[in-house]
Amino acid sequence: MSKNITRLHRRQFLKTSLAASTAIMAPTIIPSSALGLDGAVAPSERIVVGGIGIGGRGTYDLGCFLEQADVQFAAVCDVKEKRRTAIKKMTDEKYGNQNCATYRDFRELLDRKDIDAVLIATGPNWHCTAAMQAAKAGKDMYCEKPCTKNIEQSLILKDTIRRTGRVFQAGTQRRNLPHFAFACELARTGKLGKLKKVFAHPAGMQAVTSGWLEAEEVPDKEVVDWDMYLGPAAWRPFNAKLLDGFNFEKGGGLVGGGVLEWGSHCVDLCQWAVGDIPAPVEYDAKKDDQLVARYENGIELIFREKDWLKLGSCPVRFEGETGWVETGDSGKLVLSSPTLLAGRTVAEIPGYPATFHVRDFLDCVKSRSQPKGNADAACNAHIACHAANVALYLGRQVKLDPRTNEFINDDHANRLRSEALREPWRL
Amino acid sequence: MLINRQLTRCSALLTSLFFVAAGLATAAETAVESAEKEAELIAILQSSAAPGEKAITCKKLTVYGSSKAVPELAKLLADEQLSSWARIPLEAIPGPEADEALRQAAGTLKGNLLIGMLNSIGVRRDAKAVDLLTNRLLDTDAQVASAAAVALGRIGNDASAKTLKQALASSPEGVKSAVAEGCVLCAERLRLEGRDADAVVLYDEVRAAEVPKQRILEATRGAILARHQQGIPLLIEQFRSFDKGLFQIALSTAREFPGSDVDQALATEMARATPDRAVLIVGAMADRPETVVLPAVLKAAGTGAKEVRIAAIKALGRVGNTSCLPSLLDFGIEADADVSLAAKKALFEIPGDNVDKYIVSRLAKAEGKVYPLLLDLVGQRRIEALAALLKAIDNSDAAVRTAALTALGATVPPEKLNVLIKLAVSPKRPEDAEVAQQALRTACVRMPDPEATATELTAALDKASLPTKIALLKILGEVAGTKALHTIGVAAKNSDPQIQDVASELLGNWLTIDCAPVLLDLSKSAPAEKFQIRAMRAYIKVARQFAMSDAERIEMCHKATDACFRTAERKLVIDALRRVPTMETLKMAIKAGQDPELKDDANAVILFIAPTLGGNVDEVRELLATVELSKAKVEIVKAEYGTGSTQKDVADVLRQNFKETALIALPSASYNESFGGDPAPGSEKKLIIQYKLNDVPGEVTLAENALIILPVPKQKK
Repeated sequence: MSKNITRLHRRQFLKTSLAASTAIMAPTIIPSSALGLDGAVAPSERIVVGGIGIGGRGTYDLGCFLEQADVQFAAVCDVKEKRRTAIKKMTDEKYGNQNCATYRDFRELLDRKDIDAVLIATGPNWHCTAAMQAAKAGKDMYCEKPCTKNIEQSLILKDTIRRTGRVFQAGTQRRNLPHFAFACELARTGKLGKLKKVFAHPAGMQAVTSGWLEAEEVPDKEVVDWDMYLGPAAWRPFNAKLLDGFNFEKGGGLVGGGVLEWGSHCVDLCQWAVGDIPAPVEYDAKKDDQLVARYENGIELIFREKDWLKLGSCPVRFEGETGWVETGDSGKLVLSSPTLLAGRTVAEIPGYPATFHVRDFLDCVKSRSQPKGNADAACNAHIACHAANVALYLGRQVKLDPRTNEFINDDHANRLRSEALREPWRL
Repeated sequence: MLINRQLTRCSALLTSLFFVAAGLATAAETAVESAEKEAELIAILQSSAAPGEKAITCKKLTVYGSSKAVPELAKLLADEQLSSWARIPLEAIPGPEADEALRQAAGTLKGNLLIGMLNSIGVRRDAKAVDLLTNRLLDTDAQVASAAAVALGRIGNDASAKTLKQALASSPEGVKSAVAEGCVLCAERLRLEGRDADAVVLYDEVRAAEVPKQRILEATRGAILARHQQGIPLLIEQFRSFDKGLFQIALSTAREFPGSDVDQALATEMARATPDRAVLIVGAMADRPETVVLPAVLKAAGTGAKEVRIAAIKALGRVGNTSCLPSLLDFGIEADADVSLAAKKALFEIPGDNVDKYIVSRLAKAEGKVYPLLLDLVGQRRIEALAALLKAIDNSDAAVRTAALTALGATVPPEKLNVLIKLAVSPKRPEDAEVAQQALRTACVRMPDPEATATELTAALDKASLPTKIALLKILGEVAGTKALHTIGVAAKNSDPQIQDVASELLGNWLTIDCAPVLLDLSKSAPAEKFQIRAMRAYIKVARQFAMSDAERIEMCHKATDACFRTAERKLVIDALRRVPTMETLKMAIKAGQDPELKDDANAVILFIAPTLGGNVDEVRELLATVELSKAKVEIVKAEYGTGSTQKDVADVLRQNFKETALIALPSASYNESFGGDPAPGSEKKLIIQYKLNDVPGEVTLAENALIILPVPKQKK
């Protein structure tokens, strides 16, 4: 009996059980947990989630999803067999069944009508393309960062999410951590006086390029699907060194990487601090380990490598005319004056847990409201990073029109706004 | 071999590309220089360069390419390996030549390569390709036809709209979704151009077509927005749909709908919706803070289904204003705990200085259950209302007094801290003492000047009763700083044992290193031996755990050794020596080991420190010769000396020199001499020993001529 039940999908189980009880008018025992009577969430109220590309980071994210009572993780897709198997084992053990389906091609997962939302934690090469496919398939998505490879992708991401009415949460989990939120609030609400400068730590301002390495024997598709791994990236022969999804084609070839890896966190926080306005309009050439960009309202966004207080990774600093605040992943805040706290207690949460961010996403899946790391916010922050990378690549100042998101009178820069996707992929 | 070399060169090119290109692409770059670069790059494409090199050349042409590069790039479009690389510059190079090249290739290629061409044509929005794409819509390959449909959508002109509209009905099942996507893309383009009526036609066509649900949702959203204010009935229609997807698209579309007319419609709809939907509609209403119909939200907050009430109350916390406060205060004292809690949270969050002013004004004549609620809000919102709080402290209702004292703790300014100290030391009612002391703690830890705060607290100690003294000392412990440390240090020598106990415990948990001298002093002069021991243990903890220089740590260990009067603490000092493995601490451990009671502990530390002292092997060896190390059962399992694959079996030599301790002394300080020669002259060698120490297996790798000490293996758990 129990074996039969575990083979059924939970919704099917409930439906079948109820139907049976009606038909024979006999008491059918349904676990109270299945009806949500023990504090658990009834199956019909659960958000069914699938995972696409679940490696190290994805496994952490998935753990945050699995903590949530209203999540049912149903399927995993990964081009690597080892990852598929590991995630199936992890989730099946969690649920005490064998129901987690595995896929090599995420399109099959997206075809499943029972899946409401997806966790996209592939390498950056796939983030935007997979997210667009998910949106068009009617799924909401939590997408790891960096979410896009260039300016054009950022704009298409924003437009597609609006057009499809889906809920998008970028993996910018610091937007849901109290110390970062408080620091941004101080800046945004004028508590620091007129805001003058926001600082982001790029942690590396050089491009990461993924080469065309020497060909190696292509593994069996079931073990590693190389064609699917390459996905939208231009073709190159198999080489195991390129299987590090974290660094592969991060933001495309010519201007990839650079300030994007950490920038999609730190710059995103700076964007929040300035009120999620469009990206800066001027980006100077790098000088003395820093790159200065300017918003249309004159506030400077400074990508700075050195001179940070010891507040952990991903530090940001906001300076106004009357005060400043600096914070980082330690969870600690340093303020120019304790009066900025105004008697408030800000929870100190070290590290950068994603639990709150995942919860924010799930709440918005239900309410259809906009989560903190929504597509519009992510788009602006990513454009700032991409434009800074273009300035780094060209080694000179570039100017961006905030209305068109095109570089002004700058043919070379504009040609770096987008990059063709390998066939058959499109956004 | 040649290919390999080319590949290697290409890889190097790729990895260094950033730096090279960045150096070249300067603002001063002239058209001539760009042309020269383009010519060089074209020459590579024309050469027999390896595919990898041609690939990266394509990328460079993204920046430097012109119409001159197009013919060479076009040649690569049929190359399965390089087609995707060639399309990168062809999508970027302006001018009709690139369009023409992509159209030509689309006329001859098949399968994925063809799809790539169609996708690029769509990206470039090549209006001249509409006929070609129209033909490709009929392709038997559904993926090709789908790519053509989306490309037509991206072009988004009248011709493509007409084609897509026709195809919506006639396309095969596998293509319909893409055609619908193309239609919606087309319609979005029309909306951007201000042609809303034309867009509505397209959206409605999609809504009526048999296409996947998601396409219907997209078209529905577009159809509502493109109709402007006339779209409100269509929006409301979706709110009433039984279909969950349509209801959800209504929720998200309502949030982006312009103007304020829709807010009234939402309010009406919320009132008639089922509770589960009304909850979500209230959320959407609150996401339109500029135009939300507040009275409707307020009404929903007051009556009806509980879940709707709570959702509405939460919404008021985000978008409410002073007009909502009387009701929220009423909700905050309701018997239903969920409603009450939601209201309290909303009252805490509701924005605006006027809200604070209103709360203060209500305080003046407050009574009953709302009084403590108002006082709570003063505390939570950090409102300055000192006079009202002091008045409330005299109230006969304990709940009011408790709330007032708590609020005072959250809001009292530094210059009025003495008021709270007085209340804590001499409460008007004895039963308020605990709350007052808790409030004082809250206030003291947020004071900007810890030294000034500690001075005020210290002054109050004399007048305080014993229990209050203890409470004040604990608060001083949290305030910390120089003054607090001194006061607590003095208290630790007080004549009252209870005060001694609390003070020494506070010192034992002190978090800054300046407590060390105070602890050392107490370890000698505390009134009771048990507190001397406590102080010494705390002092040793500081020596072990706190950040300081090696010299300071050693000095603390010396002082602790001198001051310890019990074996137990002396053992702790010996163990602390591990933190600073130096010749001096080795000597300290050896000296300590001369005491039979400390010998085993000292030996363990000696064997820990000695191997780490790489620079003084001879001196260490001489020192160890004076030590009677503990006996150990040692078995040499395997021992090899050498480098890489050149290894010499030296297990027997070790076994012969083993003296039943973990230290193995060889005949000579030189491994080469002891092991019968150099197994790998000129190379850096290692000695690797596998062994069992007291039957527990272990392994150690030693640099040439290092002391041979077998570490105690870690037991597997």
